[in-house]
Amino acid sequence: MREFLVFDLPVLAAALLALVACSTLGNWLVLRREAMTGDAIAHAVLPGLVGGFVVAGRHSVPAMFAGAAVAGVGAILLASWVRRRARLEPAAALGIVFTAFFALGATMLESLGARQVDLDPECVLFGSLERMFFVPPAEGPLLLGAPREIWTLLAAAAAAVLTSILLAKELRALAFDPEFARVSGAAPRWTGPVSLCVTTVAIIASFEAVGSLLVIALLACPALIAAPHTSSLRGRFALSLAAGGALTVVGYALAAHAPTLLGTRGALSAAGMIAALLAAAVPLSHAMRAVLSRRPA
Amino acid sequence: MSAPAFGANTQLALAGCTVFGAVAGAVGTFILGRRRALLADVAGHASLPGVCLAFLAGEALGLGGRNPWLLLAGGAATALLAAWSVPALSRLRGVGSDGAVATALAFFFGVGAVLLSSIQSHESGAQGGLRTIIFGSAAATSRADLVALTALAAVAAATLALFFKELAAISFDEPHARVLGLPVRAIDLVLLALLIATVVAGMQVAGVVLVVAMMITPAAAARGFRGSIGRIAAIAAAIGAGSAAAGVLLSLRFESFPTGSAMTLSATACFLGSLLLPQRRRRGVPS
Repeated sequence: MREFLVFDLPVLAAALLALVACSTLGNWLVLRREAMTGDAIAHAVLPGLVGGFVVAGRHSVPAMFAGAAVAGVGAILLASWVRRRARLEPAAALGIVFTAFFALGATMLESLGARQVDLDPECVLFGSLERMFFVPPAEGPLLLGAPREIWTLLAAAAAAVLTSILLAKELRALAFDPEFARVSGAAPRWTGPVSLCVTTVAIIASFEAVGSLLVIALLACPALIAAPHTSSLRGRFALSLAAGGALTVVGYALAAHAPTLLGTRGALSAAGMIAALLAAAVPLSHAMRAVLSRRPA
Repeated sequence: MSAPAFGANTQLALAGCTVFGAVAGAVGTFILGRRRALLADVAGHASLPGVCLAFLAGEALGLGGRNPWLLLAGGAATALLAAWSVPALSRLRGVGSDGAVATALAFFFGVGAVLLSSIQSHESGAQGGLRTIIFGSAAATSRADLVALTALAAVAAATLALFFKELAAISFDEPHARVLGLPVRAIDLVLLALLIATVVAGMQVAGVVLVVAMMITPAAAARGFRGSIGRIAAIAAAIGAGSAAAGVLLSLRFESFPTGSAMTLSATACFLGSLLLPQRRRRGVPS
């Protein structure tokens, strides 16, 4: 029991909070066919994150957050400028910008001795879930022992859910008929930029704990798993959270405990296992839908 | 990632990476023309699980984990699988090409992460391991690796030269190519083979995450110039070769500069420079 509280619970909590933050906003991204924008942001925030650390001179959450936000939004703006200026297709412009940002970030990470920040190039991709643990405090409320990442993730998840509820009307208009939304004023000009900013915040908060790979999977896959089964938006959100949550728990359990059960040493990458399961569930979910609808009523 | 005693291998590394860079730039011209930038990204990431499986297979068969030909074959196999899965996924309702790319990337890179963590938890220490495959390292490649990657890049270059006219036709004017009766699907497969050969040739030096940049960034830079498709492809090849060589030299000079990052940033500098060229309607994809 104590082992579960110290090792398993904080990781599960972090992964599930990242799921709420990313997949809520991911539903809107998928509806707008912009799933890869999330991928680009998840790579592009790296130099800002490291830059924030360098400027603050220590592991300061606000500084690193601010740096990452500037880099993430900056990359998107830069990509749209590059696309117009060089007349490239959007995906190519995004690719050029985010690989450059990521290369810059990886170099800064290696050269500025930022290794002391429990951030290394590998945990940027695959997350640091395995390094998270809960230290029950000697006195005072039990929650004080929760790792720092949990609090940032909690705030990001709350921001994601609130945005989706408060701006539901505007985001829906933007997702289904952007042209009409613009002309009729159903989605004011600020809707796109605001949702981009909230998405960036959710990605940054999740990024440090779960890594860019799992962020990409959480943004796209739960929404795609839910898509064939429901036509209502509310159903989409509920189903993507439920399916995503179940797969996250199963994935973590497999990664953490399968090696022990098989009698080998060590643990497997939890972020990788969860991402692979979520992605594998996308075609399975579509196949299931096809089988269900073929059956005579 | 620190540079070990390298000496004699330096020239071979420089030569191999220059050939790789040139091929990547030239192939990238057609990938941009066919709007396949995302597919190149997926293929790069998706070579990771294959490389890990090849490493494990090599250990099991007693060939040693880092057998270069085995690693190339493994990486190519899973990259091909991923490239094949993207169109299949995008045909599912509501998924679209964006969702298909994200799903394929998450699956293959996720499986790669799991296999990599398994390899690392069993590592003997004597083996170089696979840590450098993520961001690439010219210093960590063996002589055999370099020979293999140079050979593969050379074969890709020859293939490209052989099918140049057909590739140009389907990349820049597909309707016309169809009217001429060219087998568009077959030529598309040639381009896919070239893409995958470039990815696996570059994965050890440029890294699986950034190898895509060596294809699209030099090619995008070259589109700022005037001239025929042949001339644009040649300029892309030159920029690619120069960026790759600069990347190798920079990463050998500064120990903390990963080779893949150095190559990518060199290519990005060329791209930014190309934006300063006089503006005109660019060849290929209209905005």
